[in-house]
Amino acid sequence: MLRALGSQHLAEPLSSLLDTPMQPTATIHRLKAAGAPPRLSAFAQRADRHFKWLLVAPAVLLILALSIYPLLFSLVVSFINYDFQVPGHAFVGLKNFERVVFDPVARWSLLLTAWLSGISVAIEFVLGLLVALTMVRSFPGRGVIMSILIVPLFISPVIVGQAWTLLLQRPFGPTNYILTQLLGQEVTIGWMTERPWLYVSLIIADVWQWTPFMFVILLAGLTAIPPNLYEAAELDGVNAWQVFWAITLPHLGPMMLLALTFRLLDAIRMFDTIFIMTGGGPGTQTYTASYYLYTVGFTQFHLSQATAGSWLFLIFTALIVALLVRRLLKVDPV
Amino acid sequence: MAAVAPARRRKRRSLPIGRILLLGFFLVFVLWPLYWMFNTSIKPSDDYLTVPPVWFPAEPTLVHYEAALFTYRGLDGLINSLIISLSATVLSALFGTLMAYSLARYNTGGRHLSFWVLSQRFLPPIGIVLPVFLIYRGVGLYDTHIGLIIAYTVFTLPVSVWMMFAYFRGMPKSMEEAALVDGCTRWEAFWRVAVPLAAPGIVAAAVFAFIACWTEFFFALILTSRTAFTLPTVFRAFIGFQGAQYGEAAALAIVSLVPSIALGVLAQRHLVRGLTLGAVRG
Repeated sequence: MLRALGSQHLAEPLSSLLDTPMQPTATIHRLKAAGAPPRLSAFAQRADRHFKWLLVAPAVLLILALSIYPLLFSLVVSFINYDFQVPGHAFVGLKNFERVVFDPVARWSLLLTAWLSGISVAIEFVLGLLVALTMVRSFPGRGVIMSILIVPLFISPVIVGQAWTLLLQRPFGPTNYILTQLLGQEVTIGWMTERPWLYVSLIIADVWQWTPFMFVILLAGLTAIPPNLYEAAELDGVNAWQVFWAITLPHLGPMMLLALTFRLLDAIRMFDTIFIMTGGGPGTQTYTASYYLYTVGFTQFHLSQATAGSWLFLIFTALIVALLVRRLLKVDPV
Repeated sequence: MAAVAPARRRKRRSLPIGRILLLGFFLVFVLWPLYWMFNTSIKPSDDYLTVPPVWFPAEPTLVHYEAALFTYRGLDGLINSLIISLSATVLSALFGTLMAYSLARYNTGGRHLSFWVLSQRFLPPIGIVLPVFLIYRGVGLYDTHIGLIIAYTVFTLPVSVWMMFAYFRGMPKSMEEAALVDGCTRWEAFWRVAVPLAAPGIVAAAVFAFIACWTEFFFALILTSRTAFTLPTVFRAFIGFQGAQYGEAAALAIVSLVPSIALGVLAQRHLVRGLTLGAVRG
């Protein structure tokens, strides 16, 4: 009985248990258990033996069915003809990939994705860090302000896009009126139609929604820095800027990298706000990678071309994940 | 000594002013779009295009809420969203907890399995949704509640697993070991001992799964059309509008953001873990 219980996984914890001052109690428990072995059916015994795999099974099977299988399926699709406008499913080799790679719109959308996500994430990072720095020490009203600042995180990006549309779109939105009053001269910006303002609008919406993300993570990092370091620095008469460079920044480093990586991986998917605010337009001026692939697949119905493109995009992202995320989330043994 | 003291005092006083300005600016930035949306939702249509804009309507009205919910089928979207998000949340929390326990206590599959689950979180949805769309059309899951529930369960699983993974690892094993020594089966040690102890963590993971489902747009846009459409997809009706439906769009937005914001603010203690997949303890 005991051997069955104390198989591999328990061997170590049990021995450590025995080393503790609790030894007498542990011994009693062992004796009790030995005296009254639970009666298990053959099925239950088998279930108990494979317990760890049974627990993992539902989640793993679901992910296999709805993530890995579709990915393999799409790999097949990207090498055949799967187009609602061209009949038949013949093997076409790399043709679908060629179509994407040589499509100027595809390259433009990838470039725009990089630019938009890069600029948005940079602004979010700086702004989030500044706000986090102001919120480290407690002050009256901090709890309420905290609750307000995190609100954008719980709103659908669609609604964020809608909210900024209401603010910016001419002639309804009040933004141009407010700017006119503030600047003292007539402002008539087409926030959703004119370059570069439509990019500004998209970035503002993204910054509004995701600065709290940076802020929350960086604040957690800041509060984890041991306060005695700051006390020591104060005793040494070091100025605030030096404290920031010598203490805050190095301690916050890993957290910064984590926040940046997570945010960047989400930012490059940018789709929802564009769908609502500009619809990719005017023309193809606000096509991001996701939006481009969506249009190719679901409005032009070149499904195999879209899957080929999404595989290229996937490999792109997988590289970032493999390089950065794995390093960040090292599973250190407890 | 006397010379140092005033300098330091001046420094301390000057810091909060910058802090207040920055925080104030940021608070206005966060609240302003929300206020304007609320303002639009209760504003009579006649007040839309006035110059200067109407900052607060003299005669607030609820007509836009009525139109958004009934004329534009917002209520159907709301009900669908509730059914789908709640079901997916329960499944995701359940399966996520099961798997996380196995990973945390038995180190099942080593790092590879846990990292494999995590990597699912970072797959671009466009890569998944195209083939899923084709498969769903083939097996009759397109535009069904069940189809979207399964999709949402899978897409929230990585976060549920990793949040619970971190939670279980932070929990002492001694209670479960005692139960095992007392003759419990492993399942009993898990279900009767570990799960009740981890209840707060499970609730937090469920809250974040719910918010993720509730706010999701991309999968719903592609995998549903007239039957199982969720609340965020209703906003398609207001794209490219020319003035007539600002109020309806705003009203629907207000209706839709209340539940997720309420839940999120209630669970904010766990927010850091939720955002970083348990990598950082808040």
